[in-house]
Amino acid sequence: MKNSLLLKTMLLSTSLRNIYKHTTDKKKRRKIIASYIGIICLYAMIVGYSFSMCVGYGMIGLIDAVPGICAIGVSTLAFIFTFFRTNGYLFNFKEYDMLMALPFEAGTVAGCKFLYMYIKSLPWYLSLSFAMLMGYGIYAHPPFVVYIIWVVLSFVLPLIPMLISVFFGFIIAKISSRFKKNNAIQTILTFMFIIFCFSFRYIVDALFKNGKVEETLEKIDEMNEKVGNVYLPVGWFVNAIKKQGISDILLLIGVSVILFSIVFNIVGKSYRRINSALTSHVVRRDYKMTKQKKNSVVNAIAFKEFRRLTGSTVYMTNAAMGEVLAFLLGVVTLVIGFDKIVKMVTQDAPFDSSILQPAIPFIIYFFIGMVATTVCSPSLEGKNYWIIQSLPIPKKKIYQGKMLFNMYLTVPFMLFAIICMSISAKVPVINMILYMILGVALCAFSTAWGCMCGIKFMRLDWENEVEVIKQSAGVALYMFPNMFVVMGLVVLVVFLGTFIDHKVIALVFIMITSVLAGLCYYIVMLLSKDRA
Amino acid sequence: MLEIKNYSKSYSEGKKAADNVTLTVESGDIYGFIGHNGAGKSTTIRAVVGVLDFTEGEIFIDGHSVKTEPIECKKITAYIPDNPDLYENLTGIQYLNFVADVFEISAKDREERIKKYADIFEITDSLGDLISSYSHGMKQKVAIISALIHNPKLLVLDEPFVGLDPKATFTLKEIMHDMCKQGTAIFFSTHVLDVAEKLCNKIAIIKQGKIITSGTIEELTNGQSLEEAFLEVYDEK
Repeated sequence: MKNSLLLKTMLLSTSLRNIYKHTTDKKKRRKIIASYIGIICLYAMIVGYSFSMCVGYGMIGLIDAVPGICAIGVSTLAFIFTFFRTNGYLFNFKEYDMLMALPFEAGTVAGCKFLYMYIKSLPWYLSLSFAMLMGYGIYAHPPFVVYIIWVVLSFVLPLIPMLISVFFGFIIAKISSRFKKNNAIQTILTFMFIIFCFSFRYIVDALFKNGKVEETLEKIDEMNEKVGNVYLPVGWFVNAIKKQGISDILLLIGVSVILFSIVFNIVGKSYRRINSALTSHVVRRDYKMTKQKKNSVVNAIAFKEFRRLTGSTVYMTNAAMGEVLAFLLGVVTLVIGFDKIVKMVTQDAPFDSSILQPAIPFIIYFFIGMVATTVCSPSLEGKNYWIIQSLPIPKKKIYQGKMLFNMYLTVPFMLFAIICMSISAKVPVINMILYMILGVALCAFSTAWGCMCGIKFMRLDWENEVEVIKQSAGVALYMFPNMFVVMGLVVLVVFLGTFIDHKVIALVFIMITSVLAGLCYYIVMLLSKDRA
Repeated sequence: MLEIKNYSKSYSEGKKAADNVTLTVESGDIYGFIGHNGAGKSTTIRAVVGVLDFTEGEIFIDGHSVKTEPIECKKITAYIPDNPDLYENLTGIQYLNFVADVFEISAKDREERIKKYADIFEITDSLGDLISSYSHGMKQKVAIISALIHNPKLLVLDEPFVGLDPKATFTLKEIMHDMCKQGTAIFFSTHVLDVAEKLCNKIAIIKQGKIITSGTIEELTNGQSLEEAFLEVYDEK
C-alpha cells in the first residue's frame, strides 16, 4: 500500500503532465509540449532504427537471430541506463531527508526508487522491443501466442539487468561511503566499472574464440546462443519466443521477482548508513588565507564549471566518460596496434584496416561527443541560477565560459587520441594534422550544438540532477542525432576514402563542421540575448 | 518523550560532528537547541528523526529506539528541516495529501487540519499551485502543515523561523505553545536567542559537537538575558 503510494507520488512529482496541468506559466507549457514532441521523435527514431535493423536481418534470412538481438539490446540498454542513474536516484538524492523522516522502511524507499527508474525508462525498452517484434512478425510469421509472450516478457526483460546494475552501484556506493573523499572514490570506481563493462565483451570473445574461430555476420545466431549461455535471461527469452517454453517464461519472471526481493533486502539493510555517509561532509576548518589569483570572467566561469563537474559523480561519469574512453582507446591502439584493434572490433572481418583511417576523428568524436557539458550546465544551475543571473556581466559571457570549459575538457583528449591512433595506423603527418584540425572543429561543433540544446531546453526546477543529465529533452536532442549522424559519417567517409584522397575528405569535413559550429555558436549568442 | 543517550556521530577519519550528546525532552517541553553554525545541531536533529545513521549511543522516542524501531519512532514524530526539499512539481495540496496518506489520516481529519492550518498561515489559495512556484516561506509553511497533519507526539524543527514572515513566525510560536499544552514535546534548533528565551522552557547549548550546558531557562540565565548567558558560557568552554 505504502509502496504504491510512494511510487505514485514519485511519478507524479516528475510528471510533465502534472506540471502542465497546474502551471500558469505559458512559456513553461510551451516547453513541456516541445519536450513531448522531442521525446516522441526520439521514440520514433528508436522504433525506426530497430525496425529497419529487423528488416535487414529478415532480408538476408537471419530473422531467427532477432529475439536474441532484442534481448541483448534491451538488457544492455537497461544495464547501462540504470548504472548511470543509480547514484543520484538511489543514493545521494535531494529529497532523502524528507522521505526518510516519514514512516517508510529504508528498503521500501530504495525499492520504490528502483521501480521509479524502471517505469521511467520502460518506454525506451518497449520502443526497441516492440519495433523488433513488428519486424519479427513480418518475416517469421510466428503464431499469435508469440506476440503475447513477447509483449509480456518485454516488460520483464529489463528487470534483471537493472537489478544487477543497481547491485553494482550499491557495492560502489558502499565502498565509497567508507572513505573521506567518498565522492572521488565513487567516481573512480564507477569509471573503472564502466571501462570493465566496455571491455567485457572482448574478454568474453577472447575466451570463446581462443584465437581460432572466425565469427562473422552469418554466425550471429550462434553468437546470440553463446551470450544466452553466459547471460541466462537472454537464453530464456529466446527459448520462450522460439519454443514457447512455459518453463523459460516462468524462469524469467520468477528470477526477476526473486532477485528484486534479494537485492532490495540487501540494499535496505545498509541504505541509511550509505546515504548518511554520502550526504555528510566533514569540515576541516584549517584554511589559512593565501595569495589569491585574478582570472578573466570567461575563465572564472569555466573554472566554476570544472568544479561543478568534478563535484558530482553522476555528472562526471556521464559527461567525462567519453573523454576517458577516448583516452583509453588512444593508449590501447598505441600499445596493441590499430590493425589488431580493428580486427577485434570487426570480429576478424576480412578487410584492409587502412580504409578506416579517414574515420579516425569521427570514431574518437563518437566517444568525446557523446555528452557535452554545455547541454547540461545551463539546467544544472538549478536553484543557483540567481547567482549567474545577478552577475554584472553580459549574458553571452556566461555561455562563452561554459563553452570554453567544454573545449578545455574535450580538445586535449581528442588530440591525444587522434595522435595515438594516427601513429599506430601509420597515417601520414599531413593527414594527421588535418585530422587534428577536424577533431578540434568537431569539439567546437559539439560544444556549440550542446549549448544550443541546453539553452533551448533549459530546465531549472529539477528534483534530481539525473533528470537533467540523463533524461532531459536537451540531452536527448543533442545526443541521439549526434550519435546516429556520426555512425553514418564513419560509414560515409570510409566509403568516400576508397576513391577520394583522404586529405580532401578531411578538408571538406573541416569546412562543413566549422560552418556548422559557427552557426550553432551564432544561435547560442542570439539565444543568450534574452536569457541570463 | 525524547531521550538522547551518549549519542556520537563520527566521520570516516574519526572527526566527531556530535560527541557524547545526552539530553531528555519531556512531553510538554519546548526544548531549544542552540549553537553556532556547524556546532552539530542539524547532525543531532537528523539522527533523532532517523535520517542520519549513527553508531555510538542511543536515541529513544516514546520508549522506541530510533536504531531498532525506526518506523515506530517516525509514526509519532514530525520533522521540519531548515530548508525543506519538497516535491517541487507537486501542488501544495498534492504534497499534503501524500503525507496524510503516509500517516493514514482519514479524509475528514485531513480536510479539517489542512484547512485549519492553511487558513492560519494564509496559504489556502495557493495550495493548488505547484510548489516550485512558492517562495521559501511558503514552502516552509507547507512543510509545517505537513508536519502537523498527523498530530505528532514529538515535533522536531531545524531553524523553523528562517524565511517565515513576522505573522507566520508569531503563528508558529502560538501553534508550538498550543501543542505543548496538549502534551506534545517540541525539540528545535535556532540561532535566534530572543525567540528561544521567550518560547522554550529548556535549553541545551552545543559547541563543537558537545553539549556544554543544558537545563531550564531559569537555571541557565540566572537573572541575565539568554544572549548574555550564551556568550558567557560559549566563550568560557
